Amino acid sequence: MGATTTTDDTRPIVVATDGLKKTYFGKIETPVLHGIDMEVRAGEFVAIIGQSGSGKSTLLNILGALDVPSEGRVLIDGVDIATLSEEGLAALRNRVVGFVFQFHYLLDELSCLENVLTPITISKGEASEEEIARVIGLLKRVGLESQLHKHPDTMSGGQNQRCAIIRALANQPKIVLADEPTGNLDSRSGNEVFNIMREMNRENGVAFIMVTHDDRLAQEADRILMIEDGWVHEVDKGEHRTKLLSSLEKGSAQRPGPN
Amino acid sequence: MNAISLVPLKWRFETRLALRHLMTGGGQTLLTVGAVAAGVIVIIFLTALIFGIRGRLTKTLTEAIPHVIIRVRQPQPVPLSELQDLGAAMSSSRIEKQAPQMKFIDDWQHVVDVVRAVPNVRIALPAVQGQGFASKGGNPFGVTITGADPAQQDEVSPVSRDLIAGRYVGLASDEVVIDYELAKDMSVSVGDRIRITSSAGNTENLSIAGIYSRGQGRGGAYVTLRTGQSLFAMGNSVNVILVKVNQLFGSDEVADRVESLVPYEARSWSREYPSFVSSLNVQAASAYLISGFSLIASSFAIASVLIVFVLQKSKQIGILKSIGATRIQILRVFTLEGLGIAFAGAISGAVIGTLIVYLISLPLQKTARPGHVPDQLFPVAILPEYIFGAMLAAIISTVVAALFPARRAAQMNPIDVMR
Repeated sequence: MGATTTTDDTRPIVVATDGLKKTYFGKIETPVLHGIDMEVRAGEFVAIIGQSGSGKSTLLNILGALDVPSEGRVLIDGVDIATLSEEGLAALRNRVVGFVFQFHYLLDELSCLENVLTPITISKGEASEEEIARVIGLLKRVGLESQLHKHPDTMSGGQNQRCAIIRALANQPKIVLADEPTGNLDSRSGNEVFNIMREMNRENGVAFIMVTHDDRLAQEADRILMIEDGWVHEVDKGEHRTKLLSSLEKGSAQRPGPN
Repeated sequence: MNAISLVPLKWRFETRLALRHLMTGGGQTLLTVGAVAAGVIVIIFLTALIFGIRGRLTKTLTEAIPHVIIRVRQPQPVPLSELQDLGAAMSSSRIEKQAPQMKFIDDWQHVVDVVRAVPNVRIALPAVQGQGFASKGGNPFGVTITGADPAQQDEVSPVSRDLIAGRYVGLASDEVVIDYELAKDMSVSVGDRIRITSSAGNTENLSIAGIYSRGQGRGGAYVTLRTGQSLFAMGNSVNVILVKVNQLFGSDEVADRVESLVPYEARSWSREYPSFVSSLNVQAASAYLISGFSLIASSFAIASVLIVFVLQKSKQIGILKSIGATRIQILRVFTLEGLGIAFAGAISGAVIGTLIVYLISLPLQKTARPGHVPDQLFPVAILPEYIFGAMLAAIISTVVAALFPARRAAQMNPIDVMR
């Protein structure tokens, strides 16, 4: 159920799942994902929406090899991640996938620049001059040139989240997984951060998969996937917009739409 | 930041992060470094004191006695119960039969040459020793007579050092040096003449050249070798060869070696005083034991602080794993932190411990005997090998203590800790 990609696209598929199921075995068995089939192509910007507890974050964690599915396969850049060793998974998280979380999760002990360089230093011990220059270029691009040597606790929430986005991009990954990246920001900073992700997506050809509660931001994505009761289905953007507008008219939307 | 370039590339991320953790750790870092330092201080202080006391006791006991005494083998009395072979035939005449024996070392020149060639031997002094009486008109007093070359005797059991009147070196054959207690008992002073009768029955009239006070033992009389020989009717022989060694606790080996080379008995001081040596060993063992316990205690303190630290950093550990850090890298970060704490603690502990030991070595005792250099109030020994040993032990135990929390950190699951 719910396989969802346009077929005339020739860009390579960077993320694919096949019958992905996830059940948590605690005191009681809690099935979260019932069978997710989805594909994301290189350079796409995909929004995942759904109710709280619908399994959005679980899906994202599985895609980023932080969690393992109970059943089904995950192919990242063509590789079945179930076949990877501990080191292989670490390398995948380091070089193929980048993460952005709701909280910036920068290391307090490190400056903005050092934080951004962490994925590179983890894999190589030391960043080269070129890498540092490239990363500083990205930080300038998102308006952080004056914050390079500041530590997270002296920067604003929006600045920290921008820094975290550049960290996710530092090793030039193919996919960035963003779990409610604007969820902890006021709407102005949230917009800024989203716009930066969209720009990075367009400029660098990195695929973004963004879990969000914010329908307004989801509208800005290339595609919208909705997770409902553990199943995924593609939402028609026009249809979604109509629904959104109608709910706005009823006055039930929390925030006004962008622009 | 330049020091980091010495670290292999593969370890740089871990080293840098570990250093950052330590530098931003504040109170926690200080607490753990303090725990290691405390352990090291305890060990340094304890070993310094224990070995200082051991040194002083040993010195007090052995400086005035020969370390090895070589004499003619004498039959030891054997309890009848141990003479199983003799069975019904045994009789008590056994000891009596063997009693009249040659008691002199006639070939002492040869023996002295042989003994001097044994490693660790400092001095081998041929001497005559025996019991006798000293008198001046009135009652005789028992004396232990030693006849030996004064200059060499000073090296074996110092006399000149303890003189309170007169002289010892340059003693003439009609002169004697006696101890203060004996002089007091006989009411004599330097220049007076006394009679000394040996257990062999010979008597000499000798003039007192010096009086010494050693603070231990009484009734000593020192004469020249020649006078001793004539007092005991030994002709040209001696009855003991007194040996001093360089390494006190190697005197047993010297005694064994001498016995294998010459047909005489060699007794080392440590075999003469077995209970003293064993009490020293008990002391040393308890010092090691207490050191071990203090290391274990500080290891527990370090482990528990580091466990709390790892829990505090669990979110960060999750983040690092989500951006590609491997288990082994996380393990390294926290193990390196343990190593950093270990080195900082060991070095500061060694410095403070040595300083404390140095400071308590300064106060001196009120001297008991006039004219003597006063002893330290607290006998302490600053022993580099124990300081380095304490540092090494602390470093090893700290790293071992850090391994447990580090393993725990490495095994953390990122989604559990970031949820």
